[in-house]
Amino acid sequence: MPIDSALPTRGSVCSLQEDTPLTNDHRQRVSAEDRDTHDSSAIVFEGVTKRYDDGTVAVESLDLTLPAGELTALVGPSGCGKTTTLRMINRLETLSDGRLLIGDRDVMSVDATRLRRQIGYVMQHSGLFPHKTIADNIAVVPRLLGWDKQRIRERVAELVELVGLDDTLAQRYPHQLSGGQQQRVGLARALAADPPILLMDEPFAAVDPIVRAHLQEEFLNLQRRVQKTIVMVTHDIDEAMKLGDRVAIFAQGGKLAQFDTPTCLLAAPASEFVVDFIGADRELRRLALERLDSLELDAGLTAPRDEIVARARSYLQQAGSSGIVVLDEARAPLGWLDWDTLKQADDRARIDSLPLKPWRHRLYVHDNLRSALNALISAPGEVMPVLNAQGRYLGVIDQLQLTRRLS
Amino acid sequence: MNRDWIAANSHQITAALLQHIQLVGLSLLFGFLIAFPLALLAVRWPRLYGPSLAVTGVMFTIPSLALFILLMPFTGLSMATSLIGLTLYTLLILFRNIVQGLRGVSPIVREAARALGYTPARRLFTVELPIALPVIVAGIRIAAVTIIGMVTVTALIGQGGLGQLFITGFTLSFATPLIIGFVLSVALAVMVDLALVGILYCLTPWQRGVR
Repeated sequence: MPIDSALPTRGSVCSLQEDTPLTNDHRQRVSAEDRDTHDSSAIVFEGVTKRYDDGTVAVESLDLTLPAGELTALVGPSGCGKTTTLRMINRLETLSDGRLLIGDRDVMSVDATRLRRQIGYVMQHSGLFPHKTIADNIAVVPRLLGWDKQRIRERVAELVELVGLDDTLAQRYPHQLSGGQQQRVGLARALAADPPILLMDEPFAAVDPIVRAHLQEEFLNLQRRVQKTIVMVTHDIDEAMKLGDRVAIFAQGGKLAQFDTPTCLLAAPASEFVVDFIGADRELRRLALERLDSLELDAGLTAPRDEIVARARSYLQQAGSSGIVVLDEARAPLGWLDWDTLKQADDRARIDSLPLKPWRHRLYVHDNLRSALNALISAPGEVMPVLNAQGRYLGVIDQLQLTRRLS
Repeated sequence: MNRDWIAANSHQITAALLQHIQLVGLSLLFGFLIAFPLALLAVRWPRLYGPSLAVTGVMFTIPSLALFILLMPFTGLSMATSLIGLTLYTLLILFRNIVQGLRGVSPIVREAARALGYTPARRLFTVELPIALPVIVAGIRIAAVTIIGMVTVTALIGQGGLGQLFITGFTLSFATPLIIGFVLSVALAVMVDLALVGILYCLTPWQRGVR
């Protein structure tokens, strides 16, 4: 393996991961032996091939197990077969070869229409029915399944709230809604009959970046609550890394290049192709996957705002620090006081009468390390205070800590 | 205008009007019953569209009088002759509009229906046809108005609804029946057209305020 040897060695976390029960082979064995409800929504590709009539091969002998209750992102360059892979799950495409199982059911042995009613489907352009109200759009699958009216009405109300839509929109028509709102309706429609599996084909690609980031965030929260088996196609590696519990990277010609957790893809890419696809900034991406609470914060040097200059000066000299974090009564950071300012000040002055340098960003303990690095770049004194959820000071981080984390 | 003539012949006028409505209604109905399945086939197999359009198009270009005379040896001076001719004239308009309407349904919407588990028949009747309705109704409107005018020609083969009033007026060199026939024919066309617009409005609540 001449290519692999040129790459960094696999991190300990990732080699460990490969031995956990969640890896492909093992999961397959488990789902074959122990067919409990949890595994009934795992999706298993066994040597699946899709060949079109004109001879092009979209997917080539794919072996892949998508674990139940997890979100798997299928990502790759266009024409890599990721969308075909998705569409074979609910038989929008017919497989040419191999087997595709949902739990222990072979999808080709089930009636396609019935199968589709049990699988949620979200499209890039919401694909809402223009002639039906929002409520009727959401009610589509329950109606196909023959639910009674009362139950449908209650379910629709529930979903409108779940996806964060205003209930005054329920009687409107799709063209009266914004792109972001339509996408929410599309999601509600897919979730209507509470299917164990949700397929999403570039669900956030058609909305503008600000709305997209917001929808992604909400979607993640939603998934934490509903815990569906989700398969999402995207061409955006950032989105795949952000949303996927696991990411399957496809190469041209429908071949699977790597299937792993985002952390492991970044730490141990399997090939040059994966490295290229993830991009040159993969170290930075790793930062985006870790939160500040995974670090041990430095207590830092602080002083209350009513401290006098002489005392602050002696703290600074003792600690050998270049500055001090000044806190207000609620222990929220007011600004950075550096030695040069302190040196020239009057001994008995209060330190909050001096020119303090405020921080342009606020960094909370639940933020990721990438935001931390971004905030650090412009931080006075090259340290950045970290706040708890209530905005109180917890400690500081500096660039050295982040660099150490990456290596 | 001769009011006495109107009063004396009110029975004949009403009968002519009713026959006119009957001929229009039936030829539209038969036209739709033929055009609809043909349009479904043409949407399903696009190769059929060209030939179907050519055949219905040629029928549309045959001068109406010539068509009725051509049919005479087979069906004589009967209502059938009139209906067959009129029906053939509706085909082009209805066929073309039904096909256009169904083709206008966005492929994304069609795909969504498939992915959510609609059967093909249910998709056609609850998704595709409702969305195609405005274009289909536009076709019915044009066909109806065209046929209302054309029915009068069939008076020459002993049918013709209000057209008979024209013949009466012409033979007697007397204007009143001509004016009555003309006014009723135009009024019928306007009313049918407005009625269709009203029906469409009621059936397509999603279209309101779009444009």
